Amino acid sequence: MIKQNYALGNKCDITITDDDFEKFREFFYRKTGIMFDQSKRYFVDRRLVERIKATGHDSFKSYFIFVRFDTSGKELQNLINAFTVNETYFFREEYQFRCMVNKMLPEIVSRKKPGEIIKIWSIPCSTGEEPYSIAIYLLEYWKDIDKWDVEIVGSDIDTNALEKAKRGIYSERSVQNLPKHILQKYFTYLGNGDYQICEDLRNSIEFTRINIVDPKETKRYRGFDIVFCRNLLIYFDDLSRKLAAENIYDAMNPGGFICLGHSESMSRITSIFQIRKFPEAIVYQKPLEKNE
Amino acid sequence: MLIKKEEEKVKEIKEERRKIQRDFEGLITQLSSKNPMERRWAARDLADYKEASKHLVKQLMKEEDISVREVIISSLLRIKDEVAIKGLVECLRSDDAHLRNSAIEALKEIPEEVAPYIEKLLKDEEPDIRIFAINILESLKHPNVIKWLIEVLERDENVNVCATALDLLAEVGTEEAIPAIEKVREKFKDEPYIQFASDIALKRIKG
Amino acid sequence: MKRVLVVDDAATVRAYHRKILENAGFEVEEALNGVEAFEKALLNDFDLYIVDINMPKLDGYSFVRKLRETEEIRQVPVIMVTTEAEEKDMDKAFEIGANFYLVKPVKPDEFLKYCKLLTGVSYE
Repeated sequence: MIKQNYALGNKCDITITDDDFEKFREFFYRKTGIMFDQSKRYFVDRRLVERIKATGHDSFKSYFIFVRFDTSGKELQNLINAFTVNETYFFREEYQFRCMVNKMLPEIVSRKKPGEIIKIWSIPCSTGEEPYSIAIYLLEYWKDIDKWDVEIVGSDIDTNALEKAKRGIYSERSVQNLPKHILQKYFTYLGNGDYQICEDLRNSIEFTRINIVDPKETKRYRGFDIVFCRNLLIYFDDLSRKLAAENIYDAMNPGGFICLGHSESMSRITSIFQIRKFPEAIVYQKPLEKNE
Repeated sequence: MLIKKEEEKVKEIKEERRKIQRDFEGLITQLSSKNPMERRWAARDLADYKEASKHLVKQLMKEEDISVREVIISSLLRIKDEVAIKGLVECLRSDDAHLRNSAIEALKEIPEEVAPYIEKLLKDEEPDIRIFAINILESLKHPNVIKWLIEVLERDENVNVCATALDLLAEVGTEEAIPAIEKVREKFKDEPYIQFASDIALKRIKG
Repeated sequence: MKRVLVVDDAATVRAYHRKILENAGFEVEEALNGVEAFEKALLNDFDLYIVDINMPKLDGYSFVRKLRETEEIRQVPVIMVTTEAEEKDMDKAFEIGANFYLVKPVKPDEFLKYCKLLTGVSYE
């Protein structure tokens, strides 16, 4: 019956009532922290109908029961994917990098002795845009970059992405947010629409493979002062989110900062981090050690 | 300046870890260390030992550092034997609100293992425990969930217990719950909140 | 317009409090646990918090304690609205800095009376 409807063109026989929308909205808000405004109604309905059809259901009712009681959590993940934009590019969510150089780093170095290194973790690093963005931002905008040694580690579970990151070749789309002078300074145009990041930067990031939920793998990661964990945890189930957050907590120095994606919040993950509000952003902090 | 870590440093870290790591006995001792970080590591490593659950539960009951609490709970969820589950269920009765609520959340993560305890909890003499049991039901994919919620509406005399059941039925309720909802509306006809919650549940079920 | 943050993990409870408050001219925002509540408290200027006790991630008492420790927002009034009705629970609420305590389920008139009182809105 569903196949027939596709053949008929745009006729959509699945309707989302106001009560359906409320029910879905509340469920999605509880799971992700994202609350859909009434103004997003059309957008939500469309995406929902797509998923209903894609999973072979013929009504919101049966689809919702399916998602709600699905033990694998796969369809919820598909839903979250459908409602979030997960594209990576250079200087994505730049306000956090601004916060890093203006607020986080000054606080961190105020607690460091001269000669101590600063460690920054990009997890997931995907194809490298994020760790390279961090590196460029530090070199260009952090006034104290010459006074401190900074180690940047980029980790991901996907080895293909890591290979791409090491190669450092990016499309026009990926670099379009970069100011021209930065593009010219750190990239070489390869001629076919692709840009390669310079060798110096490629050699300055350590790329590693990791499963962030496995404490045995995360044990060897320690001493991080800043962690960028953006647009990863929102795709995990509740238990995995908690475990990942605990592993990251253990990998951080007391007083270290962690940044999540702009539509993510620790409120759906854990209360072990302190909440810090800066003018640029809300970030989370591992508490400083109390004297026992 | 940007620098890259050398391989030697990785070895250093491994050596340090081995010094701290011990066998089961050593970990149990470390679990009551004065240093919260050591307690965390011990609680983390004890997840591999089934025998650890009774020690973890004991420590959970007196642990004040929330980051250590969280790891103890994660470890209990990995072990998830009867001792671990009974321990978490006991935490529902704690005077510490944070511990109580962490236990509810934890039990939601192991719906299959907690299912055998739910029916009894739904009949507990403490109304708050009955409410927590319904909170835990939220994560259950058990075929009996709706039936249990209907029973609560029909049987429970406490207004807040019924209110909690109504809230869950608004999301997962089916048509078979409609008569029970209408009855509870009658039972608490002087409570504006129950009228409100019943209306919402009925609307959402009828769609 | 006075702004209220309603903090409760039950959607129906939040909707009920919202309805009562909006009908009386308050602007309402919601949070479903203490962590979310604290984030919203930092980002906004609220005139009143309505806070449940039993919530995941961070319970109501812990949230109010954090509130009272945070300079910019510590003065905002708090009404705890919860199922627990024992004296020791009420004592604890006042000890950590709540201004008032109501037992669920609340009746609209009484609830509104205290909300208006604590936000300086004249009671008619």
